[in-house]
Order: sequence, then structure tokens, then C-alpha cells
Amino acid sequence: MLSSAGATAAGLAAARILTLRGGDAVPQGTVTTQDWVAPLDRPEARMGHLLRRTTFAPTGAQLESALRDGYARTVDQLIETPAAEPPPLAGADQASNAAPLRLNDMRVWWLSWMLDSPTPFAERMTLFWHGHFTSDYRKVGMQFPYLYWQNLTWRRQSLGNLHDFLMQVTIDPAMLRYLDLHQSTGRAPNENYSREVMELFTMGAGTFTENDVRNGAKAFAGWREPLTPQLVQDRIDSVMRTSGRPPAQKPLPDTGKVGIFERTRAFVGPAYSFLGGDFKLWDTRGAIDQILANDNVAPHLTKKVLREFVTPDPPDDLVKRIAEPFRKSRYDVKTLMRDVLNSPEFSAPQYYRSLVRSPIEFLVAFARAMEIPTATLAPRLAVAGTPLGMGLFDMPEVGGWPTNGAWISSASVLQRVNFVVQTFATINPATLQQPGPRSTVRDFIARHLENTLSPSTTEILNAANDDLTRRMILAASPEFQLK
Amino acid sequence: MRMEGINRLSRREFSRRGLLFGVGEQAAASGYAAVPDVLARAVHAQRSAGVTNDKVIVMVQLAGGNDGLGTVIPLGDARFRDLRPSLGAVAAKALPLTKEWGLNENLAGIKKLYDAGKVAVVQGIGYPEPSFSHFDSIRVWETGDPTRRELDGWLGKVVAKNYDSAGHPLVGTACGNDSIPGMFRDLDAQITVIDDKETFKFQGTAAVEDVMGALYTRTPGIYGALFDTSMRSARDTLAQLRTSNAKYVPKANYSDSERLVFSSKNKLAAAFSLAAQLIVTGTGVKVLHMTLGGFDTHFTQANRQDLLLGYLDKAVAAFHQDLAAYGMSDRVLVATWSEFGRRPRENASAGTDHGTASPVFLIGDPVKGGLYGEAPNLGRIGTDGNLSYGVDFRSVYQTILDDHLKVPSREVFSTTFDRIPFLKAG
Repeated sequence: MLSSAGATAAGLAAARILTLRGGDAVPQGTVTTQDWVAPLDRPEARMGHLLRRTTFAPTGAQLESALRDGYARTVDQLIETPAAEPPPLAGADQASNAAPLRLNDMRVWWLSWMLDSPTPFAERMTLFWHGHFTSDYRKVGMQFPYLYWQNLTWRRQSLGNLHDFLMQVTIDPAMLRYLDLHQSTGRAPNENYSREVMELFTMGAGTFTENDVRNGAKAFAGWREPLTPQLVQDRIDSVMRTSGRPPAQKPLPDTGKVGIFERTRAFVGPAYSFLGGDFKLWDTRGAIDQILANDNVAPHLTKKVLREFVTPDPPDDLVKRIAEPFRKSRYDVKTLMRDVLNSPEFSAPQYYRSLVRSPIEFLVAFARAMEIPTATLAPRLAVAGTPLGMGLFDMPEVGGWPTNGAWISSASVLQRVNFVVQTFATINPATLQQPGPRSTVRDFIARHLENTLSPSTTEILNAANDDLTRRMILAASPEFQLK
Repeated sequence: MRMEGINRLSRREFSRRGLLFGVGEQAAASGYAAVPDVLARAVHAQRSAGVTNDKVIVMVQLAGGNDGLGTVIPLGDARFRDLRPSLGAVAAKALPLTKEWGLNENLAGIKKLYDAGKVAVVQGIGYPEPSFSHFDSIRVWETGDPTRRELDGWLGKVVAKNYDSAGHPLVGTACGNDSIPGMFRDLDAQITVIDDKETFKFQGTAAVEDVMGALYTRTPGIYGALFDTSMRSARDTLAQLRTSNAKYVPKANYSDSERLVFSSKNKLAAAFSLAAQLIVTGTGVKVLHMTLGGFDTHFTQANRQDLLLGYLDKAVAAFHQDLAAYGMSDRVLVATWSEFGRRPRENASAGTDHGTASPVFLIGDPVKGGLYGEAPNLGRIGTDGNLSYGVDFRSVYQTILDDHLKVPSREVFSTTFDRIPFLKAG
């Protein structure tokens, strides 16, 4: 739809260096052109670009420390530092009918950690997987701790290995409910998960047959959700309500936080074929291995990662070059991400500002750039996602959220601008204008926009006569919507 | 006006917090609203002179794959009971259309319109070698191309080829969405997306709109044109909505109070009310799209599908009543679509899995009511457990274009299908 290769040569030729009025609002040497002139040959710009795409947006300290380390070491640190666990969400492990998880609390909790975590790349990857291995709080239900657990699991697995991760995904209690595997039995296998695990999660559409869907469902049948003591009590109460007496056999609480396999509910029947492999009985692990042996998995996932981290339209040769080592590494996500971030394409001028920040990325970047304390801003971010089209834990469909150009429409442009204006109107200006370590508008432009602004943005910044307004304009600008 | 606006923004408008509070008269006077409304109309009138009719099509997506047999239900067919031991209970409560077929009990409003001859049900709609993937099949329906070669949406093409959307942003509008529906995808069509008319406005003072409009001008890069067009479209739309809001009072009860147990994005009643407003206030709207999600009923279908159909029913009935009260119901055709139907045999979760053929509803005064198409034959279920389709979905599309909007369908589709006589002559 959109050509990914900007006419950078023409852009360079048309480049003008503007000397700007308005005090020191816009640093001298800021380049404004018809096409973005990629500033990525400057180390600080390249680092800003890396951190914007991998950590939402850097703080001043993060950018400085990364610059001291250099690009290669920074990539290593992003990838090798184990994900920091968020502080526990109070009451979440004990969620029950009487005390369900609260959606808004979950959102505040996660958004706060996106902002405060010492390992923001893990949060960015967790968000990626949240949009890939999808869920929906309505269908999963909030009277269980499952969605909270899922978030913790996805984070722990976010830079792990797909063999382990996919098994975890398959028997994740929230996933069991979301794609109906908790109801699936060997006698009547439910096909929902079997289809989506191949089509959306791993191999891609058109790479399997309807027979594979049906037979995969046999391999995956037999799982149920684990019960906490609170959930056991809910079960007993529910039986009491409907039959007037307690259940004949009292259910026992489970200790694990993953699905429980029940042999008696699993498939026993005639041998069947799944993706070319011969199966006799239920075999969830075997089915996953069979899926991961398929040639389409690595390119499918690589393409999706490239679309979120490099270019909206990844060329085939790039996909192939990144996908092969990913597969050879037995689907090690660290290998995948290291190759992506170190690829020449990642820092190529034609892909500068070629991606659109999703609403959550935009909100988190906004909070970082404004340097407003997390406790002040996170509640506001939590309610802002849905109007912008991206409510955490609330996927519009099993395929996840759209990417890039699909985030730009008349409604979304208006909503983003409004979010910025309203937030400035709501937040106490004193919070925004504290003296001291706060960075200047100049820092904002350098750190978050690589000193590369459009002529219109430059002119408007010049017309503005205070920094509060300038910050607002920068956050609402088209430049800031891109990554 | 927009371009020179940048330098004319006064210091006062920009004064501290000035964008947030306290509109100066100057800001209001330099406002953008009144002018483009008039301009747009003039441009539109000129360029669209060839399209003289005032017909409107409203496409309603039932996303997730609506179960056809739970919507238009076989009555007194023993095989239905066998296939649907638990879900088959809907047959006893169905609202009979004929001896053999009845509507889901929650479609009472649509049944009433059917009795008045205003509803056509085309049964057995599908396409060759059906896809059971939501995304793949949605794409087929959106592009009107089962070969998957086509990228643009069929309605986007209709807008681009026939109407002056650039001068008139509401020609193609998605109501209740926050992104452009795939049916509208076409780079040459300017499409408007209004998620919620209550929030579709700029926050802050009038100066905010001018400043933001100027900020999204001549934006560089691959998304530059998209950003600028989106902002321009938002402003044009706002100008029109301001006029339109003042002129419209709903003449029906669009109730959105019903709580859905499971579904995302159900703002259908408000979306229909907005659609009625855009139609009755003369904004020049031609093609509307809205979505009701949640039909992917793999699991405990009974409550969910019934609730969703009830939601659809109430919104459609209110919409029709509203248009009729404004004397404009003769212009408007509502058509439902869903990426596929569901399997005749229910699964162990009292739900149904992805299937094939299902019915399409056409609703409104222009309709010649009745049952059309090929009724599902429960005695002829394929080896894959699915029904075969009898009517290609493009027959419906082409009838809508040629006989309702009266724009040539051959410019949109490479293959011609038999039209279905579900519209009144004229």
C-alpha cells in the first residue's frame, strides 16, 4: 500500500537548514525537508532510533548510558538482561467470583511497569507477544487469576525459546479459555485453538489443510484450567446453588499455574495424521513439535517481528536472511531479535520513521518524554488506550491489533491530538514545569525526534511562545507518532 | 486559508494555556468551520453531477462468522434436531417466515419489517473453495475476490470511481470504528471514520483545531499524505457534523442499554443513529459501514448469538423507524455480511465451528421482500461436514451496485454474476 522506500536522495537535495526564532526552542541545525532526512549516521540519532523501537522511548539517563556503551553492547544488554518481574498485583492471585481482577487495575499495573521497569525491552517484547498470542478479558473472564498469570508468563518467555513458549501458550489457563481448549475433549475436540495456533501463531494462512485442523484438535484435547483454593470454593458454591447440595466429590486445589491434563478427557481413537506426522493418541507436545518442524513458522514470525521493528513491508530476502538462523537456533527469540536489531536494514535511512507507533507505544513514549511521574500519569494512560483503539487485555479479534498505516485515520489522528491536549489541560502545570533536572524542549527534540522536524512543525514551534505549548505541539506532531 | 493560518495564529492564541482554555473572539473568527462546508458542497455538486440519485447503502458486518442455521432456522426438520441436540432448541421459539423457515426469536423487529415486505433473505451465500480462516475469508468478502489477487476493498473502489470523496469526506463513512474497514480500502478514496460522534471533536479552544490542522500539513515521509489527509478529513467532517448535529433529533429509540455478556465493540445502536443523522441531514453520504463483533461462537453459542442478533435487530428497527419518520427510508438499503457461516453439527462445547454458506439480509423500503437464494439442505452435508453454497456473494454486491446505487458493477468486479431480484423496480 505504502512504498517503504522514501525518496531520500530527493529529500537530501531539498534539505534546508532553518534558523529558528522562538528563543532556543529548536536547535540550530535542525533539518526540515519534504522527506525525512535520516539522521542515523549520527551515533546519538541511531541510538535514539534503537531505543525508541525497543523501549518505547528512552529517558535521558538511558540514552546517555547507551551512548557510552555503544550500539553493539547496548543491543547485547537489551537482549541478554533477564526480564525484571513487575511487583505483584495485590489480590490478583486470589481472584475469584467475589473479588475478580479489575481491568483498570491490570492496565495501570502493566503500564506503570512499562514505564518503570529496568528492562523496558522485555516490556516491549511482552507487548508484542500480547498482540500475538492474544486474549480478551471478556472471554477469559476476570473471576480467575488467569489473565494476570498470562502476563507474567509471556514476560518470562518473551526472549526465550519458541518450543517452550508455545507449549506454555497452549496450556496457559487464559488461553485455554480464550480459544476453547478447556472444553475440548477427545470425544468432541474443539477446533478453535488447533486452527489459530497454526494460522495465526506459527505457520500462517494457507499452509495447512482442514484435516490438519480437525486432527490437531485431537492432539490438543484433554486440558482443563487449574483451580486455586478460591476457585475450588467458587465451584462448590456453584454446585450448591444449582443442585442444593455440595458436589459428591470435592474438587482439590491445584498447585501449578498451567493447564491440568486429564487422560480420561483426552483423545483415544484411530490413528490420525497431523501435518504429515502419524499420531496415535492425544499428544500436545508432539503436535507442537510437528508444527515447529514446518518451514513456514520462521518466516511467518520473522515477518511479523520485522513489521513491528523494521519496516511495514519487509522484503523477501530480508525475511529469509533473518528467518534461517532463527530456525537453526531452534527458535531462540534472542537470536531472532539480535539479528533484527543488528541488521543493516534496522538502521537503514529508507526505513527511518517507516513505522507507526501503536497507541500503547505512543502513550508510554508520551509519558517518558513528558517526564511526568508514573503514579500521576499511569491511571490516565490506562483509560486512554481504548479510545485510541488499543485496550490492553482487550483484543478486537484473535488476530490481534493492526500495525503501522492502519493506525492512521481521521478518527485516530483526532484522538491522539485530543489525548495530548487534554492531558496538558488536566495535569497540574507545576508538574510539567518543575525546575531542576527536567530536560528542556531542546532535549526533547534531540532525544525523541533526532533534531529532525517537518517545516510545519518547525514553524509552529516558532510561533509558540512558551515551552509548555511547545511540548504539547511536539507530542501531538506527526513526527512523534512514528518510530 | 489553512496554509496561511500558521503565520496568522496570533501570539494571544498561543499564550500560555491559551490552547486549552479561553477562546479569544479572534480565534473563533479565524475559525475554519463555516467555509469548507460550503466549499465542499459546491465542489461535490460539481464533480458528482453525473450521479444524480440519492440512494445509500449501509453494510453491516457480523464479524466472527454468524451461524446461518441459528439465524434463519429450519422448522420441523428432524435432521436439525439431530445435528444440534442442544442448540436446536431455537427452532421451537423461532418466528416463522414460511412453513420451513423461521427467524431467530430475537429478530422480532426484522420479522415485522419482513411481514411488511421490506426484508429479503438470500440463503446459501458463499464462494468457491471457501476459506475457514476468519482473516482470509474476511479479505475475500472485503475485496470481492476469492482468488486473493485484489488488494483494494470493493466499496473503496466504488467510492473512488464514482464519487468525489476528496471534496466531500462523508461519501464513504465507517461508523463506530476506529480504523478504516477493509471494504473501504483504496488509496484513491477518502474515507471518514467516526468512532463516536460525541468524542469526534477537538478538545480545548478553537485555536487548537487551527494549530493542529497546520501541524499536519506538508508532512514528509511515507505516511505524510496519510497524516495530512486524515487531519483534513477530520476537520472537514467536524465542520459537517457541527451543522448536521444541530439539524438532527433521532425520531426513534436507539437503545444501547442491553449488556452483552461477550463481545467487543458493540456500539451498533449509536453507529446506526449516526448513520441516520448523516443521511437525513443531507451530508451527501452514499456508503456506510459498521461492525458488530462476537459471532465466533465456538463455545456456548445459545446465549451469545441470540443476544447479538437482538442487538442487531433493535438497532436496525430503530434505524428504519427513524428514517421513515424523516421520510427518507425509500433511499436506504441495509445489507448484512459475515465472513462465513458455521458448521451444521454442533460441537462438544455447545458451540459451532467455522463453516460455509450462510444467509444475507437486505432490509429497507427499496427491498422486494421474501426468501431468495438456495435454502440449506441438511440432507446434503459434504464429507467435510459443511453445507455447499448456492449463490455467490458477488451476486448480492453486483445487485446493490447496479440496481440500488446505480453505479456500474463491471468497473469493480471482473466477473459478472446473475443479479438477484431482491429490489423493487425503479
